[in-house]
Amino acid sequence: MRKILLLIVVLGLLCSTFTGCAGPQSPSGSNTGSTETAPQKKSITISYMASQDWVQKAEQDVGAKFESETGIKVDYQIVPADQYPTLLKTKLNAGECTDLFGNQSGKFDIVSLLDIEKNGVDLSNEEWAKRFDPLAAEQLSVNGKLYGMTLADVSAVWGICYNKNIFNDLGLKIPTTYNEFKDVCQKILNAGIIPIYECVSDGWHHVLWFPELGGRYEELNPGLADKLNSNETTFEQNETMLEALTQLKELIDLGYFGKNYMSNTYADTEKNMASGEYAMTVYNQGLPQQIENAYPDVKADTFGFFVIPLVDNQILNVNPAGPSIFVYSGSKNIDAAKQYLAYIAKPENLQYILDNTPKFNSLPFSGLNDKYSDEIRNFYNAYPKHGTVYQTQIKYLNPQWLEIGKDLSAMFTDAMQPIDVLKSIDKRRSDAAKAAKDPNWVN
Amino acid sequence: MKSRIYPFYFVIGTLCLYLLLFVVPSIMGLFYSFTDWSSYSEEINYIGLENFKIIFSPEEHYFSALSNTVWFTVATTILKTGLGIVFALILNEGVLFRNFHRGLIFMPSILSFIIVGLIFKSILNPETGLLNVFLNRIGLSFLAKQWLVDLKYAFNSIIAVDTWKGLGYIMTIIIAGLQSIPPEYYEAADIDGAHYFSKLRYVTLPLLKPAITITIVLNVLYGLKIFDTVYVLTNGGPGYATEVLYTSVFREFGLGRYGVGTAMSTVLFVMMSVIGYFTVKLLDRKEVEF
Repeated sequence: MRKILLLIVVLGLLCSTFTGCAGPQSPSGSNTGSTETAPQKKSITISYMASQDWVQKAEQDVGAKFESETGIKVDYQIVPADQYPTLLKTKLNAGECTDLFGNQSGKFDIVSLLDIEKNGVDLSNEEWAKRFDPLAAEQLSVNGKLYGMTLADVSAVWGICYNKNIFNDLGLKIPTTYNEFKDVCQKILNAGIIPIYECVSDGWHHVLWFPELGGRYEELNPGLADKLNSNETTFEQNETMLEALTQLKELIDLGYFGKNYMSNTYADTEKNMASGEYAMTVYNQGLPQQIENAYPDVKADTFGFFVIPLVDNQILNVNPAGPSIFVYSGSKNIDAAKQYLAYIAKPENLQYILDNTPKFNSLPFSGLNDKYSDEIRNFYNAYPKHGTVYQTQIKYLNPQWLEIGKDLSAMFTDAMQPIDVLKSIDKRRSDAAKAAKDPNWVN
Repeated sequence: MKSRIYPFYFVIGTLCLYLLLFVVPSIMGLFYSFTDWSSYSEEINYIGLENFKIIFSPEEHYFSALSNTVWFTVATTILKTGLGIVFALILNEGVLFRNFHRGLIFMPSILSFIIVGLIFKSILNPETGLLNVFLNRIGLSFLAKQWLVDLKYAFNSIIAVDTWKGLGYIMTIIIAGLQSIPPEYYEAADIDGAHYFSKLRYVTLPLLKPAITITIVLNVLYGLKIFDTVYVLTNGGPGYATEVLYTSVFREFGLGRYGVGTAMSTVLFVMMSVIGYFTVKLLDRKEVEF
């Protein structure tokens, strides 16, 4: 009898342990649905996870003001870029994501990658949605509902930022073809300067050379994006893409990226471009001002831009997608999270973020004053033809960005050939499409 | 005589927790490795051995990850055990500041992998790293290499860093083993006129066998499940050159292909069980008793 009694006690204790896990909710959890009468002081902390470089200092300043006015604390969780996608997906799948989370916008990716209709909160009826740029909104909308807010300069394009002083000293002109670009690089190298600053160690930056040429691929192969999306053709079958990768490899083999391109870091770009040790780098239009802020002796107008001239590209690569903020549907603080977005999106706060973030020249909201310099305006005007980058146009491409980065690193070190990189991209696209039961792949 | 002092129901609580936290997840993992579980679809279907076919197909990079893992395990086991014995022998004798040296060698073992990784990433930077700057300063520029990005050196650099970190732990186990050898054996050997190497060969090493067995088993199992050192130092790069099994599993999870990721864990689980079992069996055959 005593044995049975003991057994019951032990089992009872065990049960109470487990039921204890699902016990009373934390204080922050009891606020759901009570934020209708905002703003008022309450002790809530909302968590916001984003990749490195996505949350600007100015946004955090506005966040601090938001906290002092509403009492809602914002806990920014910044994750290294090469680890972020995996971490975010793990958290979303585990049902334990932060109240707000960052991700690149993109009408295909937010469905296939984030399952945003399930994981995101519909923000269509927010006040700021009316002021939000329609092109940026399109990249965040599914079935007519808006799921996020882009807080980045989507007008900026990844081009080649070059040191005008070096170009002037060596009598160089802006190249318009790949061969001219090679000549320019060779002359710079002959002068003892490393032509291009590239940072492979971050895992993502060197990928830009490839999908940013989407406009050019489309120009030479009209309808290519549609065919790729309907699985009528593959990357491997495309000669232009193969040529682009072959040329990229050639630039490395000719020594135009220097010796340390594999270990260089994105964070050192300003330092290395300011020192004049390197003549060019792939960057967006914020870099000159960032350099001037970090090294006041080097003025922003020292630098100019031209488009990446692989495969003789002369098309400005536009991308309406950029780092965006989403509200997690499983959050217990949905209203507080929405309140944060609404606060950030107040015109005066957006203007503050724009004015105090060197790399932003504009933000995708109406009614703001942009800060394009003449140099940047001239750059945009120099390329009347525009084309959308492929990471936004092609399904199942952007989610494998870091994997393409690995393939390209393997290509740089001769472990893979350019054609293998294209095959590898096709393989991953096909795997992802089949897993998503995409009718163009499954049937 | 009663063989059981305590009744069985004493273990029920522990057993429940063990079943719930270890056995059930393992069986679930095994089950998922035969499915197409992915982040792209809510449905989970049984697909037989498809995931395992993917893992062993030559088009993928998993096979090199597998061979890297085996090479890492063999190399670090030999290096850590070999150097561990050497350092233990030196620091077991009357060396000046013996405990200080022991502490210094043991210290890396208690550091976090993230810290070690970040420090060595900086030390091994080809341009600004301490190692290459030092080599250049003393006129040995030809030895300054691209440690973590050159295919020839990247994986060996990881092995070196891991050996540096894990050596102290192994050394400590072996020192404990050395101290448990009764001094009478050495006295007897001295009387017989044995010199240092004879004592090492016929007294120390045979009596150290239990300690060495433990270190080898620990090193082999540790080596097979290596992840953090590689992840922090190279993240499997350049390209896929330093990919090991667990970085591949992590990559698969990142891509949302959970089925393949789980199948790889299953492969590793089977490998670890088999290798672990035979290592213990092999090394346990002639246990010395004193």
